[in-house]
Order: sequence, then C-alpha cells, then structure tokens
Amino acid sequence: MTEQAQLLPGTLDLLILKAVSLGPLHGYGVLLRIEQISGKTLLIEQGALYPALFRLVRQGFLKARWGTSDNNRRAKFYELTSPGRKRLREEAEGWNRLASAVACVLGAQPEEV
Amino acid sequence: MKLLTRMRRFLATLIHRSDIELDMDEELRSHIHERAVHLEQLGLPRAEAERRARIEFGSYERLKEECRGALGMYPFEAVVQDVRFGIRMLRKTPAFTIIAVLTLAFGIGANTAIFSLVNSVMLQSLPVRDPGQLVILRWSARNRPNHLGISSYGDCERFSSAGTDQLGGCSFSYPLFKEIRTQENLFSSVMAFAGPAQLDLSGNGQASMVQGELVSGNYFQTLGVSAVLGRTLEPADEEPRADGVAVLNYRYWQTAFGGSEAVIGKVIRLNGNPFTIVGVSEPRFTRLTPGKSQDLWITLQHADSINLRWGGQSMTDPAGWWLTIAGRLKTEMPRAQTQAAISLLFRNQTLHGEKPNWKTADDPIITLLPAQKGLVGLRQNFGEPLNLLAAAVAIILLIACANVAGLMLARAAAREREMAVRLALGARRRRVIQQLLTESVLLSLAGAALGILLAYWGVGALWAFLSANGYSSLEINPRPDVSVLLFTICVAVLAGIGFGLAPAFRGSAVKVTHRLAANTGNISALTSAPNRRFGLRGSLVIVQVALSVVVLIGATLLTRALEKLHSVAVGFDTRNILLFSIDPTLAGYKEDGIRDLYDDLDRRLASLPGVTSVSYSSDVLLNGGLWTSGLHVEGQSEKSTVAVQMLAVGPGFFETMRIPLAIGRTFAPADLSSAQPVAIVNQAFVRGFAQSRYPIGLHIGGDDPKDIQYEIIGVVGDTKYESVRGDFAPTAYLLLKDKGATFALRTALTPAMLIPSVRKALKDVDDNLPVFGVKTQAEAINRYLLNERMVTGLLALFGVLGLVLSCIGLYGLLSYNVALRTREIGIRMALGARRRDALFMIIREALILIMFGSMAGTVGAFVVTRFLQSLLFNIRPTDPVTFVAVCALLVLVGLLASLAPARRATRVEPVVALRYE
Repeated sequence: MTEQAQLLPGTLDLLILKAVSLGPLHGYGVLLRIEQISGKTLLIEQGALYPALFRLVRQGFLKARWGTSDNNRRAKFYELTSPGRKRLREEAEGWNRLASAVACVLGAQPEEV
Repeated sequence: MKLLTRMRRFLATLIHRSDIELDMDEELRSHIHERAVHLEQLGLPRAEAERRARIEFGSYERLKEECRGALGMYPFEAVVQDVRFGIRMLRKTPAFTIIAVLTLAFGIGANTAIFSLVNSVMLQSLPVRDPGQLVILRWSARNRPNHLGISSYGDCERFSSAGTDQLGGCSFSYPLFKEIRTQENLFSSVMAFAGPAQLDLSGNGQASMVQGELVSGNYFQTLGVSAVLGRTLEPADEEPRADGVAVLNYRYWQTAFGGSEAVIGKVIRLNGNPFTIVGVSEPRFTRLTPGKSQDLWITLQHADSINLRWGGQSMTDPAGWWLTIAGRLKTEMPRAQTQAAISLLFRNQTLHGEKPNWKTADDPIITLLPAQKGLVGLRQNFGEPLNLLAAAVAIILLIACANVAGLMLARAAAREREMAVRLALGARRRRVIQQLLTESVLLSLAGAALGILLAYWGVGALWAFLSANGYSSLEINPRPDVSVLLFTICVAVLAGIGFGLAPAFRGSAVKVTHRLAANTGNISALTSAPNRRFGLRGSLVIVQVALSVVVLIGATLLTRALEKLHSVAVGFDTRNILLFSIDPTLAGYKEDGIRDLYDDLDRRLASLPGVTSVSYSSDVLLNGGLWTSGLHVEGQSEKSTVAVQMLAVGPGFFETMRIPLAIGRTFAPADLSSAQPVAIVNQAFVRGFAQSRYPIGLHIGGDDPKDIQYEIIGVVGDTKYESVRGDFAPTAYLLLKDKGATFALRTALTPAMLIPSVRKALKDVDDNLPVFGVKTQAEAINRYLLNERMVTGLLALFGVLGLVLSCIGLYGLLSYNVALRTREIGIRMALGARRRDALFMIIREALILIMFGSMAGTVGAFVVTRFLQSLLFNIRPTDPVTFVAVCALLVLVGLLASLAPARRATRVEPVVALRYE
C-alpha cells in the first residue's frame, strides 16, 4: 500500500474543485477521482466530503443536479460554475506559489544563505 | 447586503427544509450504495461489502448535522430541538426549576420595577409632538440678580452646582416673554407656563383645591397637543378682555367629572372667578415636566384676577420672574444663533431697564436647553435615590444569577452521565454547550415572565407610596411599557447566558470514559469534590454572601440614619398634632374678615371633644416650606441685614406646639389689634445677633427706618424649621394677620380620628372654603423624609432578599456536598470518627465560605457606602458597628442554613453508606 499524505487544512476545497472541473461527478465519484489521480496518496475522509460539497454549493462555486450513476442509481452530480472556475484558478495559483516557496526553502543549501 | 442574502437563504432553507432533508438523505444513501458496489467489485461478498461501506461512512446522523450546518440550516433546527429538549429536562426536575425560576423572578422583577421607575422619571420622552425641537430658556449670571421676585415651580434645575459662582434659573418676566413672542424670527412658536397653582374650585359639588397651570394661549399648539373633547386653549383666549376658559386634564376629567361629555360649556369658579370649560386634553398628554401634575389649564392673563402674585406686583411687572418659557426651534436657524439673539434681548431688559438687575460685569446670558433634558422636575429629587436603587437591584440580580448558577452546577454534576453519553454518540462540544445555554435562557425567560408580574405589582405599590407621601400627586406613568419589556428580556437573556456559561462549559468538559465506566455514577465523590478548596460552586456562594453583605450594610446604615433622623430633638412636640390648611384670601376674605374667621375657627375647633389646644401659622415646621427674610437688628450698623427664618403664627402657637418660653412672654390675642407690632425670636437668634444685649425690647425689621419695626417681646426655644438635618437657625415669629394659614390641633386622641369633625366644623363656618393638606405633623415629617424612607425600605427589602438567596445557595451547596460525601463520611465513621466530627466538618466548610464572603463584602461595602452619604445622618458610611453587626448576622444565618445538611451528615450510617456503592 502506498504511503498516504496528511491533507493540509483548506486544500480539500481545492481538490474537490479540481476533480469536478474534469467533468461532472457525484459525491463518491469525487472521492474516487481524487484517489485515482493522486495515485492513492490522498485519501479523502468520507465524513469531510459532503459538508465541503454542500458548502461549495452554498457559496455558488458548484451546482448540483440529479442524474443516474454508472450503477443505475439516482445520484447527485456536481459541476463547476463560472465563479467556481475562477475560484479554482485563484486557489491553484495560490497553492503553486506556496508549494514552490516551500520547496525553495527546503532545497536551500548552506552556502546559499 | 450580505446579511440580507444570508437571511433570505436561511428563510428559503426553512421553507424547503423537508425537501432538503429528503434530498440529503437520498444523496448520502446513494453514496453508501456506490461504495458497497465498489467494494463488491473488489471481491467482497455483498453483505460484507454493505457492512463495510456503512462502517467506513461513520456516524450517519452526525454527518447529516454537519451537512445541515454547511447548508446554513443549523440554527433553527438546533434551537427548536434544544428548546423542546430543555423544556423536557426542566419538567423532569420540578423542584430545581421552581426554585430557579422563583429566584430569577425576584432578581429580574426587582430590576424591572426599578427600571420602570427610572424609565418614567428619567427616560420617557415628552408626550408632545417632536420633543427634540422643543427647547426651554435658562438664564445664568455671575451674581444674584437685584430688585427681583423670583418664583419657580421646580420645572428646571435650581441654581447651578455648588463650587462655581455661576447662578441660574428658568423663571422669566412676562414682558420678556412678550418681547420674545413678538420677534417672529426667533422661534417657529414660543409659549410660556407657570404653576401649577393651588386653586380653589367651586361649582362642581363641594369646594376643592385643584392644581391649575397658567399657560399662554398657544401652549397646546406649540406642544402639538390636541383635545379629546371640545377644543384646547387658543391665542385669542389670552386677550386681556377674553372670557375665562379652562381646559381639563384627561385624568382629572375622568375622576372629578366622571368623563361626562356634558362638561363642555359648564362654568366653574376658580378663586371666585368664573371659567367656562371648553375642552379636555388628549390622554397621552399626562405631563410636561416629569412628576408634575395639572388638573386644568387656564390662560396667563388671569394671574392677577385670581390673586396669584408670583414675585411681582402684577403679572406684567418686569421685576416678577415667574414664567417658564419654551419654544420650538426653527429648522433653518441654528440653535446658537437663536440663543445669541435671545441673550441680547435679555441683556437689554436686565442691564438697561429702569431698575437694572445686574451690572454688565455679571454677564447675564440665556442658554437654550433641550426641553427633554432641561425640564427636570422629579428628576431633581429622585435622580440620586433611583440610581442607588438601580445599583442595588443590579446586585440582587447578580446574587440571583450566582444562586441559579450554583444550582445549575449541581445539576450539571448530576447530569454528567447524560453529557458523556451524548458526547460518545458524536455530539460536538459546541452543540452540548448550546443545549445547556438554551436551558438556562429558558429558565431566565420563565423567571422574567414571572418577574414582570412581580414588577407590575411592585411598581403599583411603590407609585401609590410615592403619591401618598409626596407633596403633590405624582404624574408619572410607571407601568411597564415597550422599553421596559425590552429591558427585561435583555436582562433575562444576559442573565441566562451569565449563569449558564460556567455550568455549560463544565458540563461539556466531561471525560467520556470516566463517566461511562463508573456504573454507579458516584465516582465524583472520590475524584472531584474534596480536592479543591472551594470549587466553582463554593466561589459562587462566596460571591452571594459578599454581595448580600454590601446590600445589607447599606440598608442597615440607612435604617440607623433614619432612626436618628426620627429621634432628633426638633424643639417641639410632634406627636398628636393634626394639620390642615385653608386660604381665605382665595375665597375673597380681606384682613378683618380673616381675623374674625380665624378667631371663630379657633373657638369652634378648641371646643371639639378630644382637642387640647388650637393654633395656626403661615407655614408648618418641618413640612418642606421655609420663609426667610433679611432683617435689620436694632443696634447693628445702618442698612445691614441678617438672614432670618420667618414664621407668622397665631396667638397660642407656642403653647400648642409646646415650644418652651425662655424669657419674656408669648403672643396675646390683644397683640393682634395693638398699634405696636411685636415679634418673638428663638435662642439661636439671641446667640447670633444679640449676644451681649438683653433681647427683650430690641427692635427688628426692614433696613429702612420707615419699614415696620417689630419689638421683641419674648425668646422661645429653638426648633428645626426647614429640615431635620441642619443646625438650629435664627428664627423670628410674627403675628399672622392677613394670609392663608395651616391650623394645628393638639389632640388627646389619635389625630386622624378628628378629621371628620374638623371638616364639619369648617363646613359650618363657610362651605366655600376649601380645606387642603390634612395630615398629622408626624406625616408631614415623614413626607419630608420620603427619599430616605423609600430608599431605606427598598434597600432593606433587597437586603433580606439577598440574604435569603445566599442562604438558599449555601444550603444547596452543603446539602449537595453531604450527599456526595456520604461514602467518605461513612468510611470515616467506620474508621472511628464520631458524629460530632462529621457535624463540625460540614459546619466548618460553611463557616469558611461565610467568612470569605463577609470579608469580600466588607471590603466592597467600604468602597460603595460613601455613595449613600447624602441620605445618611449622624452616622459615618464606614460605621464599624454596622459592619460588624451585619457580618455577625450573616454568620448566624449561615450557620442556621448549614444546620440541616450538617445534621444529615451525622446521621450517615457507615454500613448503609458503604453498601450504597
């Protein structure tokens, strides 16, 4: 089993937005997609997922509609709205800045300081 | 904006909540299904897959609740749930609920009652149109004005605060008012009023005294007050030749005329002059100045014909300042500009008139005060006592809160298992706190509901007391109104949160495993109770005791001061004296007629059975009135005067009042007609102004030799005149010849028993002579001490209330501790402790709490009692006897409260206690 990374606070929204941006998904689908893309490094707790989804809907970044899942069961599908797309872009940029800054710090050699 | 959208979303979720719930349910189930299918695909048997899916999903209900939170549905759902559950929990423990609600009802009720008084005296806005625009005029200057008679009826604050040499007032002359009224650019409307005057009303049954306000014709228009029946006064009514018309106050119309509509057009006589009733004012217009009541209004120009000489020779005399002037500001003109313009008018009249009132250097000016603030009335006398009482009831509420918090803590301890179960089932801490707070707010709202009833009743009683004891009936509306209700609800919610916070946090901080592991639920006896000195509940009891000590010390100080005030030697015998006043000048009597009338009355009253002697005087000693005059004493330098208290009396006054004669003689009936005017002075006068001379035969009088000079014929003992508090002051007694008088009857019976026969005697003499101010001398003094009595009585009541609450708190804490420690006590006894040891253990605990509380309270009282200074008399605010006595009382009462729990501890049977576990 691959080692799992601890999810940083605040990154769940970003991951959900990204997952949904690749195509409409239902709740369980979001979990699976994040797991799959991250190569099972990132496992989302089921309990945290739905409150986050509902919050994003409430904030207007996602919209939901009922559809049918692959297993022929009624399921709610989420997709990105245009504010959501904008939000994803911003969050992603922010994350990248942070990540490169952290990487930079961690990669520092004694003589560079 | 953001708030609005949030509100809208909240409402939407409320309306569609069942849809949303179903939606959420279906979505979560579909998730579990998907997961199960996924697991099945991975190779698990179907049943196992479904089980695993559910376990992985975790607490379904908790997740749903979090989702509701994310959707913004949380508050409403939670509140309804909490309220329902809270009511259920409170009903399960009726004893706790009743005690808590009653405690809070007293605390909140007392606050509501006092606040409604504060509200009606201090806060309520004037019942007129646009009260914010209305201003009153106030003059101030560096020196006292000369050549003036000033009369004021307590509408605004008298001379400004001591320490500054600025003087001020708000009475003005009629000519100034006329001048201001003709300058149309100053105010949009300006009116003047004076009074109320005591008027003799006849033509409506037996003659009676009414409170009549003299107002300018545009009084009602300026205030924006209309008539409920007929019309109000109009500017035309103020014309010099206009017929006399009167407008009745709504309440007076109801009580004196039974609310009859036939009253319009009815002619009544005021001081003998006919007035036609033209209207009744609307009911909301109860007062202009807080606390002052009027029965009717008439126009200004009648001041002369009904014989009211306020300050001057006639109403138009510029030397008579008697009118309060109020105007409506023009919206386009800044207040400062109006003020400057009026100041100019005022300076013109007072600096450059025929007889200037001031020198230019005295710098007299006019300030415009907002009427709401400037018309103080009752506030002047009751402001300070009301603030004191407000502080006292706030303390009572604190005690009540501490008490209920203690009860809640005990209950929280008993409910630890419940809390543990809830936490274990996935309730979040915040949620549990919210639940417990809801319960306490519910409690305090129930307390508030009951408290409002208590307040309603209490305010009624207080108002009746004030009205019966004030100098005139009080026109205040102390019934709880909207602002009072809002105040109460705020107090209740704050109190609920206040006393609920500690128990809530305690309750939610339960260690789950501990609680659930302890099957018998009594583990706290071993873990939590004895290992801290006081604990939170102990501290609460200390707080209660301390606060009670503060209130009780205040109450005791005031009680002792009042006792001292009552036992002051006032210089005359205050027992068994019946007083009543008549004013024959109002009914048209002239000097000779008055003398005959008084002679006649003297004889008739003296012959009544039960009357020992009769006399009369212009003022009553210790009745709030005082007449002072500047007198020249023979032998002193020319033109110099000394300030002397004056009292005009009838023959026999000193005998009736039992004021001892020192030297010379008292007045004889023959002095009334003698050509030589005579006077009697008191010993303080001799000490002050005639020390080296023999006083009999000296002359006193005006500083002009042409003024009447009175020959001193006797010296009498000192008496208190205006106030019980001050020292004896120099006083001169003259004979009363041509004024209204207050008769004093020395009785052998209870004075009140004579009232009917006195009334009958007066009716026999003259039916048109109204009698007013019937009371005993003791009542008169009591009225004078109204503030002291009110504050003392209420503070004593609050003190006892605080004491009882603290005892309940102490009793509750000790009982609870005894119950908790049953096992410990059992073990101790099994190991050989005696019953006495158990008794002492509990009593020692009680004593420690009371000691700490008393100490804290004493320190608090040291800081606080100096605010009582103005009401105290012959006692220091830090009187050690009082402090020690109150602490001793608390120790005693506290010991009594601890006796029952302590005895219960001694009855613990070791075998039973140990088997209990």
